[in-house]
Parts: sequence; C-alpha cells; structure tokens
Amino acid sequence: MDYTKLTSNLVDKALEYGASHAEVYLETGRNLSIQVLNGEIETIQEAASAGIGFRVIVDGKMGFSHCNDLSDKSLEDTLLRAVEFARLTSADENNVLPSDKGFTEIEGLFDPEIAKIAMEKKIEMALKVEELALSDSRISKSSGAGYGEGQGEIFIANSNGLSKNYKSAGCNIGVSVVAEKGEQKNTGGEYSSRRFFADLDSLEDIAKEAAEKAASLIDPIMISTQKAAVIVDSSAAGSLIGGILGALNGERVQQGASFLKDSMDKSFASKLLTIVDDGTRPKGMGSAPFDGEGVPTQKRVLVEKGVVKSFIYNTIAAKRAGVTSTGNASRGGFTSLPGIGIHNLYVEAGQHNPEEIIAATQRGLLVTGITGYGIDPVSGNFSGGASGFWIENGKKKHPVKGLTIAGTADEILNDIDMMGDDVDMNKSFTAPTMRIREMMIGGA
Amino acid sequence: MKKYAVHDIPRRDFLKMSVKGGLVMAATPALLTNLISCSPGTISASTGLDLDQSVLKKVIAKALEKGGDFADVYLENRVSRQIVMEESKFKSGLYGISQGAGVRVISGNKTGYAYTDEISEEKLLRAAEVASYVANNGSSFTPVDLNMADRKSFITVEQPLSDIADTRRIEMMQRADEAAMSYDERIKMAMVNYYDEIRGRVIANSEGVYLRDENPLMFFIVQTMSDDGKARHMSRERLSKHSGFEMFEEFTPEMVAKRAAREAIDMLDAEAAPAGIMDVIMMNGWGGVLVHEAVGHPLEADNIAKGVGAFTGKLGQKVASDVFTMVDDGSIKNARGTINFDDEGTQAKRNVLIENGVLNGYMTDVLSAKQLDMERTGNGRRESFRYIPIPRMTNTFIEQGESEPADILASTKKGIYVQSLSGGSVNPVTGVFNFTCREAYLVENGKKTKPIKGATLIGSCLDVISNVDAVGNDLEFGPGICGKGQAAEVDAGQPTVRIRGINVGGSKA
Repeated sequence: MDYTKLTSNLVDKALEYGASHAEVYLETGRNLSIQVLNGEIETIQEAASAGIGFRVIVDGKMGFSHCNDLSDKSLEDTLLRAVEFARLTSADENNVLPSDKGFTEIEGLFDPEIAKIAMEKKIEMALKVEELALSDSRISKSSGAGYGEGQGEIFIANSNGLSKNYKSAGCNIGVSVVAEKGEQKNTGGEYSSRRFFADLDSLEDIAKEAAEKAASLIDPIMISTQKAAVIVDSSAAGSLIGGILGALNGERVQQGASFLKDSMDKSFASKLLTIVDDGTRPKGMGSAPFDGEGVPTQKRVLVEKGVVKSFIYNTIAAKRAGVTSTGNASRGGFTSLPGIGIHNLYVEAGQHNPEEIIAATQRGLLVTGITGYGIDPVSGNFSGGASGFWIENGKKKHPVKGLTIAGTADEILNDIDMMGDDVDMNKSFTAPTMRIREMMIGGA
Repeated sequence: MKKYAVHDIPRRDFLKMSVKGGLVMAATPALLTNLISCSPGTISASTGLDLDQSVLKKVIAKALEKGGDFADVYLENRVSRQIVMEESKFKSGLYGISQGAGVRVISGNKTGYAYTDEISEEKLLRAAEVASYVANNGSSFTPVDLNMADRKSFITVEQPLSDIADTRRIEMMQRADEAAMSYDERIKMAMVNYYDEIRGRVIANSEGVYLRDENPLMFFIVQTMSDDGKARHMSRERLSKHSGFEMFEEFTPEMVAKRAAREAIDMLDAEAAPAGIMDVIMMNGWGGVLVHEAVGHPLEADNIAKGVGAFTGKLGQKVASDVFTMVDDGSIKNARGTINFDDEGTQAKRNVLIENGVLNGYMTDVLSAKQLDMERTGNGRRESFRYIPIPRMTNTFIEQGESEPADILASTKKGIYVQSLSGGSVNPVTGVFNFTCREAYLVENGKKTKPIKGATLIGSCLDVISNVDAVGNDLEFGPGICGKGQAAEVDAGQPTVRIRGINVGGSKA
C-alpha cells in the first residue's frame, strides 16, 4: 500500500469531517525476539504490525484516536472519533501543528542486512554469548540470553502540507548471568544495541562484561553511614542525572513543575557539566530525520558549563513559551500524542580517565549501580540505592552493596569536581564517570 | 540485569515498545530494565472476536502440526478512552481501538509465539506456522473439540461504560480539579487523568478450553503540585476498579483530589531524611507494593522454574516471621487486579503464598506449572495480544494481623513512618529491592513528627520479611501498574506493618 498517499488522503478526510487542522501518523514494523536459556531456545517471537494515530484540532480543541485495523471502514470510524473527542476538550490558541518541511539527512538508520541474516545464525549467537558468559569459572548460572531486532517505517502528514517518512532498524544481543557463593547471589548483565548488525559488540566482550559485573560484587563489606566522595561510573551516571531531563522539559518549565524553571542562562551546576542532545548523530539509536510530529531534528546544547542554555520543546509547548520547537516531540508509537523527549543525550567528556579519578580519591565510594528514580525533576531531591566499591587511598578496597546515597540537585550537581573521558557514544543516553566531592552515604 | 518494577502511574513512554520504528530495544526481556505502562489501549465494540470455533480448532491443529505439547490462540479487542486535564484545562482526549490475535506453541521448555493485527483465518494460520518453529518433537496431536469452559466471575457492572456520556467523564475530572485547586492557595496546579477501557478476549487451547469475556477497567489519577516559594511537591492519588462508572459513588472525585492536595501541602515542610538502618512503619494500603516487589516477584514461578529465583528450593521452609502471611488473590470483587480467569483461561483464586512465615507456593502459568509439576494458580497474564502470558501477580497483599495500628506506632521509639511510596523495583534473582517514599514522617518516641523528603528504602526480600514484627488489623489496598517486560494492572495491599531495620537513604547524618 502507498502509505504516503494514504496519510495525505486521511488528512483531507479529517478536514472534511470538520477538523480545522489534522495530522496522521502511521507506523509499520516487524520484530523478532529470541530468548535462550541453558543452551536451549526458550522463546521465539515474531510479528509484523501497523497502526495509525489521528490528531485533530477542531476550533482550537485537540482530539486523538488510534487503531491498528487499516481497513477503510475502521480508519473512517476512528478518525470520526478523534473529531468527536476533540469537542470535549478546552480550546487553546497554542494547539498548532508544525509546518517545517525540512528533513535532516542522517546516515545509517536502516540496515537492510538485518532481515536477511538467517534465524539460525541469530539463535546461534544468543546461545554462544550465553556459553561464553558461563565459561567464566566464577559464574554459576545463566538467567538467559537473547537476540532481538526490529525495523519499521514512519509516515507523517498534516494539514500544513507536511508529508514525510523514514525507515529505521535496530538489533541487540545480550546476556544475564548469576554468580553465587554460599547464600550470596549476584547478577550481571550486558547487552549491545546497534543500528547495524555488523556493529554489534563482539560476543566475547559482552559475555566478559556480564560475568565481571556478576562476579565482582561477591563478598561485599558494609560500611558505616557517613559523608564521603562519590564517584559515579559511566554505567550508573545516567541513572543519577536522568531527572535533569524532566526538569529541562519546556512544558513542565511553563507549568512551574521543574527545579530548573527559573534557571535559564543561570548557573545551576558545576562548570564541568555540559549536556547535549543530538538527534542527528549517524547511526545513533535515538537519531531520526524528524521528531514525533515531523519537525527536523537538531544537535542542541542544553547545558553549557553548568548554565542552562535551552529547554526542550515540541510545537505546542514552544508556541506557549514563545520560541520555536527544538525538534523534541517524542512519540511512544502510533497510540500516543506527541510528548517531549530527547534523542541522543550525552554529558560531554571531561579530562580524566576513570583510573585517574579513582587514584585521586583518598576515601570514597565508586558507584557502579544506582537504583531508584534519579533526581526528582520537580523538587530536585535525590535518593537512591547504590552498589560498587569502597575506595581508600586511591584504590578499590572491597565491594559494597545495599547502600544509599542522597542529596539535592543543587548540592550534587555543583559538587561535581572531576569529569571522566569515558562516554559511550553508542548509547542514546550516556554520561562519563564523574566524581561528586561529597555526598551522604547510608550504610550500617 | 533483570529488574521488575511497579509504578503507581502510567509512564507515557511505555509504548515505545510497540512498533516504534520496530526498535525492539526491549525485545530481550532478560536485559530489560523497567518498561512500565498503562496503555491507553482498548476497545470495544465488536468485530474480530466472533471468529468461528472451527477456525480456532484449525489454527490449533496447525500450530501443533510439527509436534509440541500445548498450543493456544488468544483474540483480543480493546477500546479505550483517556482524557487529560492539566492546569484546569482539558488538554486532550484520546480514543483507541486495538485488536489482534496471538498463537502460542509450547514444546518442552520452548515457546514459539506470533501475533497478527488482523483476525482472519489466513493470518492466524500463518501465525500458527511461525509459532510452531520451536516444535520438532514430532509427537502427533489429535484435535479436540472446543467447549465453553465454566468460570466464575468476580466483576460486576451497574453502570456500563458504554452507557456513559463523555460529558459525565469530563464532569468527574472537573470536580476533582476544583476540589484540588480550592484546597489551599499553595496548590498551583492539578493534573487529572481519566482512563477507561473495555477489553474483550477469547481464549482457545489444545486442551479443548474455549472462553470469552469482556471486562471494563477504570483508572482515575489526580496529581497536585504545591509551591510555597521555598519548596515544591508533586503528590498523587489514584482510584481504579474493574467496574462500571459506579466506582465514583463509593469514592468521589473530591475525595481523591483532597487526599492528593493534603499530601502536597503537608510535604512542603519536609526536612532532609535521616540516613542509615532504622525501623520503618508502613501505613496500610498501597505500601503493600513493597512486598509486591520484594516478595511477590521472586515468588513468580518463571524464575523458580529456571532455578535462579531467590526462593528456589525453599518450599515448605520458614522464610518469614510468624506474623507474616502473604496472599495473591485474583478473585476479589471488582478490584483492579481481579481477572476472573487468567489470559490462559485458568480460574483466578486466592493463593496463600506464605503462611505464618512458611513458604506455601508459587504463582504459576501453564508453562511454569508444567516445568515444576505444580498446579496452575491462575497467574498467567499478558499485557495484550502482542505478548506471551507469563506468571504475574493480581491483587497481592499481606494478610490482616492482630495489632492495633496505633499500638504499632506507639511502641516504635525511633524510625520513619511511610505513608505513601512512589514505586520501586526488585531484582528477582537476588531479591534486592528499592523503593522511593513520596510521603513519610519521622517517628520519635512513638509519635509521627516531621515530614521528610522522599527517601529510598533498600534491602533484600528475605531480610525484610524476617524482620516484620508487627502486623495491623487494618488491611487496605491501592492500585498500580506492574512492569515485567510487559504491563499489568494490579492492586497491592497491606495492613499497617513494622519492619525492623531497613536501610533508609536520607541526606542527613
């Protein structure tokens, strides 16, 4: 079926049905998931599907409907529902659709090879990565390995004449294993997720990392409750700073529901903190030529040397704030309205390699895992569970588990005093190892 | 690392999994962290589910053509409505229809699965063929006749959603917004989220079971934000039932809104929480989510069958204190976690998991029951036709005890009193969990004193249930969304309980 034509026709139909403005968002996709356990296939799931979402504005009021039955009758019924539903909502002059016909050219979003590789080969890889991880003598059990892939195409058309589409694909492989000693158990997992099949990390590296994570925290020693330096390694740093994203959401800022609401062009964090969102990185897992409502993506500095330089917006939130969309409309698929989200967000690398940071720390905690919700975007408070290693005299002394760390965004972010150089740019949300001069650590 | 999480509110990003650019980032549940949700998804009306039984029989036969021990077909149709109100404006209305079918084949320990958006004989036979990929034991299947199975229902409807005008839905939201905004001038914003769905399902399997039903679900969430120029707090209160619109007669929108507003105002004065190991009293109700995570997930039989779960090999052993009894019950009248029968067709019932501290059973689905040679407990659930059923909780709670809640507080010298949790997660293999408090207070000399800022609670499941030393007589429930690679609606409940010695993550020494 010609989906470009279908989406444009449906926009026209929406106007016929009484919409003043309309947008049609259509996605098609195919995915495959293989799970293995103890050398055997556990599950294989495969499916192809498609769905469509209608966003209409009727006299300034917004309605939305979606369906996954693309027959004419279903599409017409569903579209009518959006128009009817719009009448229930409040009129808002900011309810507008984008008209930017631009398209950011991005290399490497679609790998045609993924689908061509035989299923047997993919099963074999999942089995192999599990076998390799289990071959580490410190590992006692597998809790499963898997391979997954997907590809899809998105079509957007709206009544401002915008009509765009792009194709993307991705694949991933990973394993999770258990190390045991007496009554102690510890799990470790690692995966690799890429746009291109050939770019997946080697099975040896994935297996080694998973085994190391599981085995390294065996025989932890509890420490007492105290204040000390906290080094958050690159795998955990994202969990800490995640809440900053919610606070940079332009709509939440407008609503006053952000701890950064009054921080534009002001310093709120250490000079070492620079945060960039880049929707244009070649082969980026979060890259796309346009955002969830068709606005071209861009590379944008959100925080520069501790100063807020930009919030992120979709079209409606931008109109309300009197700025233009930053191309950050996010969409959880055809079933949802555009929200606001990031593409590939990273904290810019600093000067030090992680070993230097550890060596420069007399006494402190190296955190390799954080649990919880990260910094609260509304209040700026942070409290989380932490595991990792205790450091004395610049060296890892012993593993630690079951600790807590806490503070406020203001304290934590201003206290960042060393920034690592180890950002994994293959991930869509990533940060280097960073040291916080002092934090409250809860223990025995 | 596998992590299961539960939240008390829908996270909009959960659907990223659907067909988003086909990016199955989450396609490896083994690696999946928390994918939570409450999809707007669902539907209604008609179509699709009326497929002839002879077609279903043919599909099952096709699925087992190459061998295999079990096959089922699941048809689903869901109509949903969601209305969002923010800043006293109706921001958007969402209407969704989703339907499709999945075919599953189990062969030994292997599962094959495929689904289709289009419910037709041709597409179902194709799905059956794909699902049969895992089967190669060559055993031959003798087709059985499908018969409507007999199942009890625990969901009643007085005011069907289909009879309710959208203006009534709007009215409930408006009332909540007004009640919240007029509570106190420091309430700066209310966010009201209304969701309802009607989910129809048809289940047919190679054991001859045929079932169909249609159930409503309602979910009403009020969040309020307070700001006094020095501090801000976002509070939340939820209401959810499998029932008709009569839900609002027992609990009015004003009640929900005022509870939310009270929390937002009371927490403006919160001080930094203390850090370190201390006694924790959890108020009755949604606090049960702590055992949902810490104990419930590790008692789901899939990880037990794999031999990696924290409670593996502990059946019949003493795992908790004498006062601790924990139950999962999918048959509580109209509760959010109630399911009548699970998505594999097994009757829902009350399952006592831990009785007076002794481990009594696990929660199973068809596959794990077979692997462990145990009974099917009615816990095989799926988010939608896009997912395979896996062992999931329904309404999970700590059973009523004998202590007076006031005595529990009065006999606690020092610690914290947790009135509400945001949610948390657990690693089901190690049993290590974490939770974030949304509303909590210091306990000093047997009294609740100052409010404290959202602290994390962490610990391990086996420690926490051994350290429960007082259980109140005031069992209550709260609604949530549980994520385990796929979302499920659940209730978590408990009476007031005291847990000795949990690590609390505050920022004050």
